[in-house]
Parts: sequence; C-alpha cells; structure tokens
Amino acid sequence: MHTALALMLLCPLAGAVFQAGWGSAVGRRASALAAALAVAGSFAAALVAFAGCGVAPTHVSFGAWLAFDGFSAQFSLLYDRIAAVMTVTVTFTALLIHLYSAGYMREDKSYARYFCYLNLFVFFMLVIALADDLVFLFLGWEGVGFCSFALIGFWHEDTKNVVAGCKAFITTRIGDLGYVAALGLTIASFGEASLTGLSAGAETLSPGLAAVIGFGFLFAALGKSAQLPLSSWLPDAMAGPTPVSALIHAATMVTAGVYLLMRLDPLLAYAPPVGATAALLGGATALYGACCALGQRDVKRILAYSTVSQVGYMFLAAGSADVTGALFHLQTHAFFKSLLFMCAGIMIQACHEEHDIFRMGAPLRRRYPGLFVLFSCGAAALAGIPFTSGYFSKGRTLADALTHPDPIFLLAFAMGTLAALLTAVYVFRMYFVAFFAEPADPAPLHDAPALHAMELPLWPLALLAVGYGFANPPEFLHIRPWLDHYLLGVTTPLPPHAVQAELFVESLDALLAFLGLVIAWHFYRPARHPAPAPDGLLTAGLGLDALYLKRLAAPYARLAAFAWRAIDEDVLDGAALGLASGLSGLSGAVGRAGGGRIAVSLAAVFTAVAAILAWVAFGWL
Amino acid sequence: MNVPLSHVLAVASLLFVIGGVCAVARRSVLMILVGVEFMLTAASLAFVGGALAHGNLDGQAAAILIMGLAAAEAALGLALLVHAKRGGATADIDGYDRLGGQ
Repeated sequence: MHTALALMLLCPLAGAVFQAGWGSAVGRRASALAAALAVAGSFAAALVAFAGCGVAPTHVSFGAWLAFDGFSAQFSLLYDRIAAVMTVTVTFTALLIHLYSAGYMREDKSYARYFCYLNLFVFFMLVIALADDLVFLFLGWEGVGFCSFALIGFWHEDTKNVVAGCKAFITTRIGDLGYVAALGLTIASFGEASLTGLSAGAETLSPGLAAVIGFGFLFAALGKSAQLPLSSWLPDAMAGPTPVSALIHAATMVTAGVYLLMRLDPLLAYAPPVGATAALLGGATALYGACCALGQRDVKRILAYSTVSQVGYMFLAAGSADVTGALFHLQTHAFFKSLLFMCAGIMIQACHEEHDIFRMGAPLRRRYPGLFVLFSCGAAALAGIPFTSGYFSKGRTLADALTHPDPIFLLAFAMGTLAALLTAVYVFRMYFVAFFAEPADPAPLHDAPALHAMELPLWPLALLAVGYGFANPPEFLHIRPWLDHYLLGVTTPLPPHAVQAELFVESLDALLAFLGLVIAWHFYRPARHPAPAPDGLLTAGLGLDALYLKRLAAPYARLAAFAWRAIDEDVLDGAALGLASGLSGLSGAVGRAGGGRIAVSLAAVFTAVAAILAWVAFGWL
Repeated sequence: MNVPLSHVLAVASLLFVIGGVCAVARRSVLMILVGVEFMLTAASLAFVGGALAHGNLDGQAAAILIMGLAAAEAALGLALLVHAKRGGATADIDGYDRLGGQ
C-alpha cells in the first residue's frame, strides 16, 4: 500500500522533472509518450491502492518537512475510500486527457513545457487528494493554482491569455486567505494541522470556532471551485489550451474545493451554518452559471459557465452533508465535462480556431459523425436526460437539498431545480446550433486524420458519461448502488426520507430535461435559422466582472494612484530628491575647493592639521 | 642654557608658519619646495631645542633624521621638476591640475 501510494505521487512528479530537463531534447512523440506513461503509472498505482483499500483509512507518513516551536508539518497521507475513488477518477481522466493532448499539441512548439506543467498538475492534484497534513495539502492546493496559472497563460505571446492567467491566480489567492486563516486557527487550537486530528478533535471545539474554521476552508473552496462570489476567473480561464480546460477546469482542479469540503465533513458536522452557506451558495451558483451559459456564443465559455453551474450542485450536496452524493456528481461531471471539453477542442480545431457555435452547424456533424456521437453522449449527461450519469447524480444532489431538515435548504433546492431546467435549455441550444443549424457564413472546415485520431481517447469517457450513473442509481430502480455500498461506514448514508424523495426528484428532473429540450428546439431548431442574440447582460456574466472592476478594482486603483502620485512622488520622492540635490550642491562646493589647485589642497591640509592640533592641544571645538 | 625653551619654540613656530605660507601662497614649484624645507627646518629646531631643554639626545637624533629626509625630499622634488621641465611642462604649480577631474 505504501509503495503504491508513493508511486502514485512520484510518477507524475518524475514525469514533470523529465519533461523539464529532457522533454524538448527527446522530440515530440517521445515527450508525449513519456508524459502519458507517467500518468499511466500513476493510474496503475491508484488501481492497486484502490484494490487494497479497506473501510479503515490508511495513514502513511513520509517524514517531517517543517518543524518549529513544537509544531511540525508532515508529508503524511490519509488514504480512505473517498480518496481511493477520487485518485482513480483523477488519474483515469488525466490519462485520457494526456492521450488526447498528444494529438492536440501536434503542431505546438512548446510541447515539453506543456507536458511538464500537465504532469506537475497531476502530481499536485494527487497531493490534494491524498494529503492528511493540512500544510502538505496546502502545498498541493497552491501547486495546482500555479499550474493552472501557467497553463491558462500557456500561449503567453498574446497578452490577454497572460491577463486571464493572472486573474485566475489572484482570485484563487484571495480564496486562499481563508485557507491560511483556517489553518492558523487549527494549529492554534490543536498544535498540529491534519485532517485526522481535525476530524477527531472537532467535537472539542467551541461551535463558534468550528464555524470560523469551517468558513475559512469554505472560502478557500469557493475560490478554487469558482463559486459565487469568486467565480469570475473560470470563464476567462478558457484562454488556455482546450485539454487544459478539460483537465483543470472540468475534471480536477475546480472540484478540489468540493473535495476539501468532503474531507472536512466531520468538522462541518459541528458547524451547521457552514454547510447551509455552502449549499445556498452552491444553489445560487448553479443558477447563475446556467443563466450566463445561455448568453454565450463561444463554445468553451458555454462549457465554462456550465462547469461553474455543475460544481454548484456538488456544493449543494456537500453542504447537505451527503459526501457520497457530492463525490458521485464529481465523478460523473469529470467524465461528461472533460468529454465535452475535448469534443469542443476538436470542433474548434476542425473549424480553424473558430469558437463561435453560430458558425459551426450541420456541415460539422456530417464531416465528423464520430464527434457528433461523442458530443451527444456528453450533452445528454450534462442536460440530465434520464438514465445518463448526470441524471442520477444531479437528482441525488437535489434530493439531498429537498429533504434536509433545515428549511433554508428548500431555497437552494428551488434554485438548483430552476438551474436544471436552464441547463437543459443551454445544452440543447449549443447542441442544435453547433451541429444542426445551417449558418449563413459557416467556418471553413478542416479535415485532418489527426483530428479523427483525437476522438479515440474520448470513447471510454462517452461510455462512462452515459453509463456511469448505474454505479449509484437511486433506490427505486432496485439496482444495487455500488458507490453507496463501497462508501458504507466511511460517509453518512443517505437518510431514508431522502431515499423516498428520490423518485419525486428524479421524475421532476426528467421532466425538466425534456422541457428544456423542447424549449431549445422551439427557439433553435434549424428551420428557424437561429441567429446569435446581441451581447447582453448574460454574455457579460451578469455584470459580475464589471461590478468587481467598479467596486473593488477602481477604488483600489484610485488608492494606488494616490499612493503613487501624492505619497510616493510628492512626499517620498520629493524628500529623496531634495536630499540628493542638497548633497549634490555640497559636494559641488567641496569639489570646487579641491579643483586640482595644489595650493588650495595644501592650504586645506594645513588648516585641517592646525585644527586637529588645536583640538589635541586645547580641547577646542 | 641661555635661551629658554619657549623662545626656541616660538622661533620654530614662526619659521614653520613662514614655510607653510610660502608653500601655499607661491606658485612656483621651486618656491614650494623651499617652503617645505623651511617647515622641516622649523621641526628640527623644535626637536633640538627640546633635546637641550630635557637633557637627552633623542631630539638631536630626530634632527639628523629630518636632515636626511629633507635632503631626500629636495633631491626627489628637484629631479621631478627637472624631468617635467624637459618634458615641456612649466614650473607653475597650477599647471599640474590633471587630478582636478575636468
């Protein structure tokens, strides 16, 4: 077990080191192969560890790395069944994304840098998934933040990509303030900071302190998972290469926030307001993301807002203390969203870097039938068409919220339900416009065998997107829910009244999905020649960016300008310049005194000697 | 001793100041060297006077050292001056201003 865990972490790290050192020397194919092999090794190790994982968690420590004042941070891992499922999901999705990347980056000159960051990202993500020590976890937390920054701004010749990278970095850093605060409070309360210690000692905390610590971690999770109010970085993060969007912004990093909340579930049990806030914000974000996705034309931005929205459902489940439900939705979302993102990557390359769905249309479907089938699978799962994976997992999260004893969760449920309808509408809007419409000026199509080859790694994802729901179907289908049984004894099982509510919720969900389909067909069927609406409030993300610019950035810029003009230039620079010009005048006078005239120098020497002698002799001066 | 030490020191000081003023005020290198010789002589006078007043010979030894120093100084200074004159330079001290940094 120890070896498997160590190998799982070390494979991608070694891969990243190899790419950094020799990636560009060994050539494109070998570089891509090495990157994929590193992740494949990690996936194999994850499977081995998964097979050997019992109900009782495994603790592993690889030694201490920071020690002062009686506090020490360990390289310690907590491998329980949640981590087992998470690591298998992460490494599996990452492996397929690496295979896809080999095709996607076939013409990019910086492939070694790309694969280096990608491997490093997988390493840090696995640190998050496995770490027990909260300081070690923070290392992974910041590491994925860095890799995300570097990959969003991967094409750094274009400044707007770099700006998008910085935006993501800064926004998640703001969230991390919450992590640091909560970490500090944890250390102050327990003298150590580990998930195990926090879970065991949560009941000794006062309710107020538990809530404060919980809110700190929740704030960090909101930043990482792009939930309101820290959601605005994710749509801009689409500036990066598309496989990166699939890996970071769909399958793994944005779900790290939810995963943190799952791992902290024992603490949240003692801090009910934190769970309620998470659920409410999750519901609100689900609605917000679905609304904004309706107003986008760029296929990747639609998917980005959709990610924001779907992660909202995970917060809803995690906030309702249903760890299994959140993990289930995390998995299905990882499958269908990375599938959709990678389909979008092929669509964009097939249309010569055209992102606008209103310029794609039926020619794309005819030329790429495989892509069309793949995209259909992903879209059906995302929209929640019955018996696909997204249908079961989303219904589960909504049932959690509906049956929670706290009535405030009903509000979250209502927002989530409305969002489910909107989800179906925007998914089928995208689907009909991008694959069925006959646009007036279609983007020229590009037919390369490499593009068709890139579809290959997507088929397993498509299968999972459609079929993975049966890993954890609701009770009324009378199929044994594998995930619930696997996590029995690790997480709190679903309460009986929630099980009963599932039939109602799932029926409602199916109804909404078909209603959304009908609405989208009504407005966007090919016969209507759908045309893009002018950019509006929805396109701009309901003005969240503008609000931040106006209310936060502009006052800050004014403060900075004041500090620059008034304080720095006038006061500090003035003082420094005045001192400098005074000194310069003085030295000019001294310089003139010593201007090469030997007589003057001699006179000065005599005067000085006379003065010293006088001081020695009489104690003058 | 007929002459009191204070008188000897007063003469030596006077001689030193005359030498100093000569060294500072004159522009000819030769006259500056003469001024320096005056100052060295004033110092020897003070040493000899002190030696007589205190009855030991250290001051007289110092006077002999100063004589050697003065001879060396005069010889070096004159040699440099002659060398500079041959190279076309003046004897005017203000001509030697390369260290002025212009």
